[in-house]
Amino acid sequence: MPLRIGVLGTGFAGSMHAHSALAIEGAEVVAVAAVPLTDATSLAKECDARVASAEEICAADDIDLVVVATPTYLHAEHAIAAARAGKHVFCEKPLARTLADAEAMVHAADEARVTLAVGHVVRFFPEYRQAKELLDAGTLGKPAIVTMTRGNFAVGSARGWYLDEDKSGGVVLDLMLHDLDTVRWWFGEPSRIYAKRFKGNGGLEYALATIRYDDRPIVQIEASWAEHSGFRTGFELRGDRGMLVHDSRAASPIALQSPSGPAGPAMMATPTLHETPYLVQLRDLFARIARGAPPLVDGHEGLRSLALGLAVIRSADTGEVVKWKAPS
Amino acid sequence: MESTVMTERLRVGLVSFAHVHAPGLASTLGALDQVDFAGIHDDDEKRGRSAAGAHGTRFHPTLDGLFAASDAIVIATNNADHRRYTEAAAKARVHVLCEKPLATTTADAKAMIEACRSAGVQLGTAFPVRSSPAVMALKAAIAAGSLGRIRAVRATNPGQYPGSWFGDKRQAGGGAAMDHTVHAADAIRWLLGDEFSRVQADLGSFIYGLDVEDCGVMTCDLAGGAFASIDCSWSRPQTFPTWGGVTLHVVGEKGTVDIDVFRQALTHYDDTAGRTRLLGWGDDLTARMVAGFVDAIRADRPVPISGEDGLRALEVVVAGYRSAETKRPVAIADIRA
Repeated sequence: MPLRIGVLGTGFAGSMHAHSALAIEGAEVVAVAAVPLTDATSLAKECDARVASAEEICAADDIDLVVVATPTYLHAEHAIAAARAGKHVFCEKPLARTLADAEAMVHAADEARVTLAVGHVVRFFPEYRQAKELLDAGTLGKPAIVTMTRGNFAVGSARGWYLDEDKSGGVVLDLMLHDLDTVRWWFGEPSRIYAKRFKGNGGLEYALATIRYDDRPIVQIEASWAEHSGFRTGFELRGDRGMLVHDSRAASPIALQSPSGPAGPAMMATPTLHETPYLVQLRDLFARIARGAPPLVDGHEGLRSLALGLAVIRSADTGEVVKWKAPS
Repeated sequence: MESTVMTERLRVGLVSFAHVHAPGLASTLGALDQVDFAGIHDDDEKRGRSAAGAHGTRFHPTLDGLFAASDAIVIATNNADHRRYTEAAAKARVHVLCEKPLATTTADAKAMIEACRSAGVQLGTAFPVRSSPAVMALKAAIAAGSLGRIRAVRATNPGQYPGSWFGDKRQAGGGAAMDHTVHAADAIRWLLGDEFSRVQADLGSFIYGLDVEDCGVMTCDLAGGAFASIDCSWSRPQTFPTWGGVTLHVVGEKGTVDIDVFRQALTHYDDTAGRTRLLGWGDDLTARMVAGFVDAIRADRPVPISGEDGLRALEVVVAGYRSAETKRPVAIADIRA
């Protein structure tokens, strides 16, 4: 019997997950929700799925797993409804906008004995996985100083809810959270945080955080919604026996230009991997659910990374160093 | 005709070959049309004579001998000796261009500024990054308002560990933070026309087993509301294809600019040496910096990068060291008190 999926949200994440699910054997997308409902029509058609409201999907009898890819501040409402109806939940990061919401979600999933997985997809990106393997193997020696960067255009200019700090948490919970989760994955729990950020007009936002461990390493993370030429990621990982460098701008195996100016997907696809990390992430989750295993990043883990993001915001807002203790 | 040209030239001497920048400075002094390279003094006589021979100039066994032959000197000693040589030069009425950091303490830096002021000679600080055409273009764009208000700068000046006295706190005044913060700090002050107000530093000695830090990130507030960070680490491995670099990521309300000051380089895959090197071909920033200093002295105008500029950049380092000790941000005003 296939895993039957309902997708809430048709933005970047919702469509990515729906398309990924289509490519996974043993999974089918049966319903798609958006607000307004008509926004779900085209994605639903592509998936040969019905259009339904989030409430219907969370309550439906023919759905085993709900993908929550709605705006951040709505994650809790949708995930809790789905869990209470006995459905597994795959929730986009950040798990929620507030710690209280995240705790309620984790509690609801635990109570209902359903899987709550969080989409910290960077853990499925090959360059970040390879770095983790080299770190764990000791190839780089002891980590000394690490810089990580992640940038995008001012996404708030495209999707209004990102502009509302109370709904999205801004660039820290959108972009920096990926690297904060990665830092926890690579090095464990840090000891203290210092951060700065600014918000400008037109959705401009930029943040810098220094994440310290009791001894080592020093980690600096940059997150930017002022990268007007588009998405990029990078890291430099300096251990006492070597350094590892990743720069997404220098790592694309294909580049397209045309005489008519910037050329897009209409002209040709520009794939970089046969399977996207998003697809690998979902396939891994579905396989774990099938064999009754916990997800790679569960609700508790997603909650801890969210809490680190909130600590970054607190430091930036207060201008002071914030001591870190991970929620249990 | 020839004698007219000669009188217009500035006689410039070089004090010490202790600094890694000394060979570049000596080549510059030998090459600039407006300079008569007046010779080298070095308290390590063997090193000084050998350097003088290599650069086709005189070795002066005594400092007074060098001063007598010079209108100005360039100081390329270790950091802790800057004050001693600057005060001696001021006493001899010789202008000073001092390697960075200007000094290892703000008290020393202030004493140097005062010594030169009261002697009526000029004191300059060696910050070649201001001479980069890319940095100059950015300065002009910011001043013209093309980028809107500048809100954040992420600067890096990571390098290889230079060895020698650079890891000796007594001679260098610190480690990577003392060595590498000031270039970026000065560039940020100059670009934004603003002053640093608060510094949080995270420092560590993680790579070379030194008594001083080899890794560091400074996160700073500027008085006008922008913030900036400076990666000052000696983080470039020995296998890195070049000494290090200087980068600036500048975020304005109307635009974002990335600068990699030393990006102009050929990549040399060298089978003979068994390694890959970057061979820079960009403008010679040291030559432009020295020329800017020399031309100002010759024209009797203020030097473009002053001792005060050196002091302001040093204050960021000093506040950073205090912050690393206390694990809290430190106000620049507090280290002035």
